[in-house]
Amino acid sequence: MNKTSSKQLLGVAIFLIAIFIGVPLAISLTGRWDFYFTLTSVALLAIASAGVWLTFYIGRINIGQGAFALIGAYVSAILVVKGGISFWISLPAAGIFAAIVAVIIGLPILRLRGVYFAMITLVLTQVVTLTALALPITNGAKGISSIPLPSGVSLFGIPIIPEFAAMENTKLAFYYTACILMVVTYAALYRLVNSRLGHLCRSMQQNEELASSIGVNIAHIRIVIFAISSFFGGIGGAMFGSIAQSVYPSSFQVADSVNFMLNCFLGGLGYVFGPMLGTLVLYFGWDLLFELGKYQLLIYSIILIAVIRFLPNGLLSLRIGKGGQS
Amino acid sequence: MLRRTLIKATLTAAAVSALLTTTALAENPILKIGFVGVTSGPAASWGISNQRSMETRAAWINETGGYKIGDTTYDIEIVSFDDQKDPKRAIAGMEKMAQEGIHYVVGPNVDDGAAAVRPVAEANGIMYFPYAFPKSLYQAPASNAVLGMVANYQSGPAIYQYLKDKEGVKTVAFIAANESDPLSQRDGGVAAAKALGLEVVSDNVTYQVDTTDFTPVLTPVMRARPDLLVLSGVSPANAPQLIRSARELGFQGLISTETAQDAGVLSEGAGDLANGFISVGGASTPELASPMMNEFVKRYTDMFGEYNDESNTKVYALEYILETLKANPSGLTDVSAFQSTMDTFEAPNPYMNGDAKMRYVGMTSFGQRRQVAVPLVVNVYNDGAFETLFIAEVD
Amino acid sequence: MANPGLSRPGFIFRKKEPMEQILANGVYLGSQYAMIALGLTLIFALMNVLNFAHGQMYVIGGFVTYTFYGQWGVPFILALVMSCVTLAILGALIEKLLFAPVIKGSAREESTMLLAAGIAFLLDALILLIFGEKQRGVPKIIDGVFNWDFRLIMPYDRILICVLAILSIVGFIGFMQYSKTGRALRALAQDRTAAQLMGVNVDRYSMIGFALGAMLAGLVGGLLVTITGVNLGMGGPTSIKAFMMVMIGGAGVISGAIAGGIILGFMEAIGLAVLSQYGDITYLLIFVSLMIFLAIRPQGLMGKPWG
Repeated sequence: MNKTSSKQLLGVAIFLIAIFIGVPLAISLTGRWDFYFTLTSVALLAIASAGVWLTFYIGRINIGQGAFALIGAYVSAILVVKGGISFWISLPAAGIFAAIVAVIIGLPILRLRGVYFAMITLVLTQVVTLTALALPITNGAKGISSIPLPSGVSLFGIPIIPEFAAMENTKLAFYYTACILMVVTYAALYRLVNSRLGHLCRSMQQNEELASSIGVNIAHIRIVIFAISSFFGGIGGAMFGSIAQSVYPSSFQVADSVNFMLNCFLGGLGYVFGPMLGTLVLYFGWDLLFELGKYQLLIYSIILIAVIRFLPNGLLSLRIGKGGQS
Repeated sequence: MLRRTLIKATLTAAAVSALLTTTALAENPILKIGFVGVTSGPAASWGISNQRSMETRAAWINETGGYKIGDTTYDIEIVSFDDQKDPKRAIAGMEKMAQEGIHYVVGPNVDDGAAAVRPVAEANGIMYFPYAFPKSLYQAPASNAVLGMVANYQSGPAIYQYLKDKEGVKTVAFIAANESDPLSQRDGGVAAAKALGLEVVSDNVTYQVDTTDFTPVLTPVMRARPDLLVLSGVSPANAPQLIRSARELGFQGLISTETAQDAGVLSEGAGDLANGFISVGGASTPELASPMMNEFVKRYTDMFGEYNDESNTKVYALEYILETLKANPSGLTDVSAFQSTMDTFEAPNPYMNGDAKMRYVGMTSFGQRRQVAVPLVVNVYNDGAFETLFIAEVD
Repeated sequence: MANPGLSRPGFIFRKKEPMEQILANGVYLGSQYAMIALGLTLIFALMNVLNFAHGQMYVIGGFVTYTFYGQWGVPFILALVMSCVTLAILGALIEKLLFAPVIKGSAREESTMLLAAGIAFLLDALILLIFGEKQRGVPKIIDGVFNWDFRLIMPYDRILICVLAILSIVGFIGFMQYSKTGRALRALAQDRTAAQLMGVNVDRYSMIGFALGAMLAGLVGGLLVTITGVNLGMGGPTSIKAFMMVMIGGAGVISGAIAGGIILGFMEAIGLAVLSQYGDITYLLIFVSLMIFLAIRPQGLMGKPWG
C-alpha cells in the first residue's frame, strides 16, 4: 500500500476546497448559475465512469455502464413513485440492485475478454433499454415522470438532510449531494486500488493465467469488481433520475455507455482520477463550445482527436509521477 | 494543450458573438427567444427544420425594422442549444436559457426531453413549447409547457373518421418504431381507432429505429390485410422506405401518419409509390398558404438553400410567443402575465388564407389552454407535392 | 382526391409467411450485412482497431453516390467507383495521419477506441455540414417487382443489389487469396511481427488495409443508397450492427464476418417472421439470444479465442 505523502494530502485538500467552496463562490461572483447543473452532471457521470475505469482495471473494456445507470434510475424512480419510499433509501437500493444484476450477468459474460466482452456489454445496454420499453412496471414507452424531489431525513428529530422541495435553491443542494457522492466514490476507489484486492487486480490485468496459477481466485475477484463497478453506475443513474424528475427508456442509451468509456480513455487508464478529469473535459467542453452553434460538434471532435493524437495515454499522462497514480 | 485550445476557442466564440451583438445593438434592443432541441444525429431534421424556421422569421423581422411590443421595438435573436436528443443535455440547455435571461423557449422535440426540462422551466419562469405529446406535460399541475402543434390523439381521430366516412375504411393496422414517442403515439392511435368502431387488425409490430430493410418487418402486417396502414410517429427518414416496402409487397390500401413529412424526401425515397400517402402538414398547400407563408418559404429557401416542408408546422410557435407578448407586454419579464393572457388571446393567423385565428386551445385534452391553435391540415402526397385533403380545428 | 381506392384485386396475401420469402429476405439482408462487416473485420484483423467510424464511412459512401448519381446524373457504376475512391483516400489519410501515430505512442492499444469515436463524431459533423440533415434517396435503378405467386416477392433492384453484393464479396475473397497485396495483408493479420520479419512493409500495408476496409464501407453505402436511401443518422447504428456481426462470426476473421453477417440477416428475417406476434419484444429476444450465444461461444463461430 502506498504511503500518503503530505503533498498528496495537500492536493486533496485543495481539490475539496475548490469544489465545495471555490465553485459556489465563483458561480455567485460570475452569476453563471447554469454551471451548477453542468457540474452536477459531471460529478454524477464521473461516478458512473469510475465504475467503468474499475472494470478496465481488471482488463475488461466495459461499454455497458449505461445499462446499469438506467437500471439504477428505474429502481429509484419505482421505489419513490410506486413504493412511496424516501429517495435516500432508494439511492443505495438502486446501487445494490444494479450490483445484483451485475453478478447474475457477470457470471457468464466475465469469462469473455477483449473486444468480445466490450461487445456483449454494448448489447447489454440495448437489452436493458428494450426491457424498459417492454415491462409494465417501468411504464413502458411512457416512462416515469413527475418524480417527487428528495424528501428530508431526520434522525432523532434532528434534521440531517433538508426537504429538497422546500428549498430555495435545489441546484445547490443537488450540486453538493453529487459532489459528496463523487468524493466518497473516488476515495473508495483510491482505497480499493491501493489495497490487496487492487494488487490482485493489477496482476490479473497483466496476465490472468499467471494470477490464477499463483492461487488467486480470479473468477471471484472479477465478479466483485464488476458488481462494485455497476453499483457506481446505479447510484449515478438514480441521482440523475431524481434531478430530471423523470426516467425514460432513452435516459441512458448506447451513446452514454460509449461516453462513459471515452471518459476513462481521455483521462487516462493508468490514473485513479483519470475518469473524473475525462468526464469534466468531455462534458463541460461540449457546454463551453455552445456559442459555436452549428460548428459545435465539428470543433469538439477536432479537439478530441487532437488530444488523443498528441496524448494517446490520456490527459493525466502529462503529469506522470505525481499523486493519483496507481 | 487542450486547455489552451479550449480557452482560445471560447474566447474567439465570445468575441464573435459579442461583435454580432454590438452591431445589432446599434439599432434596437434585443429580445432573445430560445430553442432547445436536437440538431445533430439521427433525428436532426426535426430540430433543424424547427431552428431554421425560427431563424428565418427572426431575420425577416429584424430586416424589416424589428418587432414592436408595447412602446419598444425589438430585434429578435434566436439562441439555440443542441440537446443531441439526450434528456440530460436538454436540462443543461434549459439551464443555459435561464442563464441568458430567456423566458420563452421552443422545444424540446421529444417526450423524454420535454419531461426532463419541466423542473428547470418551472423553477426559472420559462414558458416552453415542446413538440411532444404526453398529456401530463400540459395538464395541471404542470403550468409552463404549451404544445406547439396538433397532437396525434387529436389528429388521428379526425383522419380515421374522414377515411371511415369517405373511403369506407373498416380495418386498421399500426406499425411503430420501438422508441418512446412512436410507441406512445401508436397506443393513442389504437385507442382512437377503436373508439371510432374501426377494427384494429395489427398493432404490435415494431421496428428498430436503425432498420434498413422494412420488408420482413411489414410482411406480417400485410398478412392482416388492413384497409388502412398507420405509420405511428414515423420519422421523415423512415416514411419513404416503409411506403416503398409496403407497396412493393403488393399493399393497395391507404397509408397515413400523424406526423409532418417533407415532399422532397418522399419523392426521392419512394417516388410514385408515395402517391396517396396521407400526412399532417401546415398551411402550405397553394390554396391555403397566405402571401406571408409564401414569403416565409422563399426567405427560408434563400437563407438555407432548400426548404423543408416539416417547417410548415413549426413556423407557429415563435409567432404565438411574439403576438402574445404584443398583446400583453408585461409578459416580457413576467411569465404569469403571459399565462393569464393565454386564456383570452386572439389574433389573425397570418400564414393562412381566410379568417383563421391564432388562439390557445386544449381545454378538451388538457383542461387548460396549453396548446397553440394551428389549423389541422391533412395533406395527401401526389406526384412530388402535397394537396389538401381536409382541414379541421382542435379545441 | 387522388387516393388509390379500396378496390384490391391483387391483394391476396397468404395467411402464413412462406418459407421462400423468409429465406430470400435472409439472403438479401445477410449479403448486405456481410459486406458491412467485412471492412470492419479487416481493419480489426490488421490493426486491432475497433473502428467506431465504420458506419459513418458507410454513410459518406451513400452520400457520394447520391451526389454523383442522384444529383448530377453520372452513371450509377461510375458513382459507385467515386464512392470507393473517396473512401479509400479518406481511409488512407485517417490511418496515416491518426491511427498509425496513436498506436505507436499509446501504452494500451484500446486507446484507439477514443480516437475512433472522435473520428466518428468528426465525420458526423462533416456529413451534417456538407450533405444536410434530410433523408436522401436516388431514382430506382430498375423498376418492377419479381412476384412468384405471392410466395416470393422481391423487387428487381433488390435482387440486383444482392447479386452485386455477393459478387463484391467473392471478388474481395479472391483478391485476398490470390493477389500479392492480399497475401501480404493476410500475413499481417496473422502475425504482425512475423510478417515484418518476412519483409512485409508493415506501415505501408496497414495503410492499404485500412483504405481497403474504408472502401468496402463506401461501396456498400453506395449500393444500398438505391434501396434504403441515406441520412446522417445511419452511421452509429450501422457501426453497432457491424460489431455484432463481427462478434457472431469471430473477430478478425474474414470468413467469420461473412458468416456473422449472413447469420444476423437470417436471425432478423426469421425472428421478425416467427416472433412478430410478440410485437414489442421481438428485438429484445434477438438481442438476448445473441448475448446467450456469445456467452456460450465467446470466440464467435470461427474466431481465435480471446480476440
